[in-house]
Amino acid sequence: MAEAEQKSFDQGSNDLIEKAIKDEANTAFDRADTMKPCPIGSVGSCCKNCGMGPCRVPLPRGKEETPEEKLKRRGICGATAETIAARNFIRMIAGGASAHSDHGRGVAELFIAAAKGEAPGYEIRDEQKLLQLALDWGVEIGDRSNSEIAVEIGEKALEEFGRQEGEIITMRKAPLKRQEVWRTQGVAPRGIDREVVEIMHRTHIGVDQDYQNLLKQGVRTAIADGWGGSMIATELQDILFGTPAPILGKANLGVLKEDEVNIIIHGHEPLLSEMIVAVSREPEMVELAKSKGAKGINLAGMCCTANEILMRHGVGIAGNFLQQELAIVTGAVDAMVVDVQCIFQSIATVAECYHTKIITTSPKAKIPGAVHIEFDEHNALKSAREIVKAAVENFPNRKGNVEIPDNETDQIAGFSHETINYLLGGLFRSSYRPLNDNIINGRIRGVAGVVGCNNARYKHNEAHIAMVKELIKNDVLVITTGCNAIACAEAGLLLPEAAAEFAGEGLASVCEAVGIPPVLHMGSCVDNSRILIAATAMVKDGGLGDDISDLPVAGAAPEWMSEKAISIGQYFVASGVFTVFGVTWPTLGSKEVTDFLFKEMEDMYGGMWGFEEDPIKAAHMMIDHIDKKRKALGIDKARERVLYDMEMRRELT
Amino acid sequence: MEYKIEKMKAPGRGEVEILGATYEEGLPVGEEVGQWRQKLDSREDKLKYLQNGERYWYSDDWYGSEKRKNPA
Repeated sequence: MAEAEQKSFDQGSNDLIEKAIKDEANTAFDRADTMKPCPIGSVGSCCKNCGMGPCRVPLPRGKEETPEEKLKRRGICGATAETIAARNFIRMIAGGASAHSDHGRGVAELFIAAAKGEAPGYEIRDEQKLLQLALDWGVEIGDRSNSEIAVEIGEKALEEFGRQEGEIITMRKAPLKRQEVWRTQGVAPRGIDREVVEIMHRTHIGVDQDYQNLLKQGVRTAIADGWGGSMIATELQDILFGTPAPILGKANLGVLKEDEVNIIIHGHEPLLSEMIVAVSREPEMVELAKSKGAKGINLAGMCCTANEILMRHGVGIAGNFLQQELAIVTGAVDAMVVDVQCIFQSIATVAECYHTKIITTSPKAKIPGAVHIEFDEHNALKSAREIVKAAVENFPNRKGNVEIPDNETDQIAGFSHETINYLLGGLFRSSYRPLNDNIINGRIRGVAGVVGCNNARYKHNEAHIAMVKELIKNDVLVITTGCNAIACAEAGLLLPEAAAEFAGEGLASVCEAVGIPPVLHMGSCVDNSRILIAATAMVKDGGLGDDISDLPVAGAAPEWMSEKAISIGQYFVASGVFTVFGVTWPTLGSKEVTDFLFKEMEDMYGGMWGFEEDPIKAAHMMIDHIDKKRKALGIDKARERVLYDMEMRRELT
Repeated sequence: MEYKIEKMKAPGRGEVEILGATYEEGLPVGEEVGQWRQKLDSREDKLKYLQNGERYWYSDDWYGSEKRKNPA
């Protein structure tokens, strides 16, 4: 037990890791113990982009490298450690940007089908967001129907993926100065797909061999992700499913119910899960569940699909990335329905020890051993009914080894940019002014976006929670997405009461006045685009500089592991945000590449990368950066408060 | 509305009657609670909200960091 206690910050998860060992279910925690990361690949010093390699170019251990040694540190084609590290790094960006953007493309395709009435069950739920996008993208509103407007918006969205020249239209939402920075640096994206393809071309053997030029294309592609593909996904999903507003939900594995059919929806896209939510509430389905001996149907989310359905329906979250196998280990999950991204292949083998049905639904993501029920967007309700029925019929097959941890927590989610704006100013004068004022007067020191994954190389959720607690203790308001948001929910940080318990005096006073938690849940990982928009609103409201790089803000992914995280981090850096990653850093094999990312990018973009394994030290790197920005803005010192009488006021005019 | 009267101890005055809470108690349970965007009905209202509430992007007469009367 002592060993298992070190695997997760959450006791319920530790108990299930122990149960998995007893049940002989092999999990990521076991595999991380038995297989250590490759020391050469983990620092970006291995190139396998052609059949002459893989070529390994590791730094010499325990001594400084001589110039002669450095000259010899090359692949067979002559590629230096710098070229190899930069190639590997931007291929990660290409992978991450592709994942987010292909998600965005899928939403756009469904959006058009829904607008044309070809996807029964889907409709325009947020007309205001539809009109907003029409204004953004120059789509005529007039007396046109929502469907007509939506078809044009959907088609314009799809054009952004295949655009060959010019600039993606979504980057126009960025602060004007930021757009100029991108144009000056030559990194304004032309089209989303084009930038990804160009990375794959440039990193092919014998093409781009200048690490700075490679990293430049990485920046361009990352911007195409955050301000392009991800933003399109978020905006269109809001129109189809509603812009999130505050909602109460539950979190952690304790949301599973022993006496109900438990269906976990895992992955990233809300397209199918929205339909499963609707179908699971149909009286016929509930009756079917009862006929099988269950009291009802209990839906729970996992990873970012969880965030999507929590934000819009209050559906409980069973856990984040490293809890996906543990959910099955409870023995209470009747079906785990998966779509795309961050899904362990091993869930199928873990499920063999229990009765859980793994149901894949995307033609892009199949798993041997799983049942495949393909999601047909033109007949989504039928697909959803087939899936829910399969789960219900599996309920009687439970094996009796059920153990659900008693670790359920409350959380408030749904803090989209639009809702923050509304909460701070009300319906008739929505505004970021109170936030900016409280940053200027020092009650709030700054804002940190803490996001990202879990990593089996690090104690589950520990870095997330330690970093966020340290930030709010120091009066830094935290905005969160993805697996960090779930970790914060499990630690009870997404409740207004958490401000009094964990936040500094200044931040707590603002949270109490507005009635918000000190950590604001903004959604899934594609919803990091919401953070970009919130930062832009802070800039545009005034008083904190003219660009995101002027703001007292910082970003972090303390337990990152995915290529998507690298793409997200890079678009935050390119947007002017200092961004610190934990666990490991993938370019440490090249000092030049690492220095370029950590130092020189600040001169080019106003933001730069940082790496620190210790979450408390990383939090203080962020706080130091926030203080640096406060000093530059001249808001670093408390000013003497003077009560102006009428005579003094007259003198002012 | 029916007001609730509560009794509390006041320093030097013993037990006094005060007006109780006038808000509805309870947790924000349910999908509808907090759904502020449904307060706007017509398309005209929604467009007006965008010009006002989201003035950073959609208003012509808003002066923020990027539209100063006297540019920095």
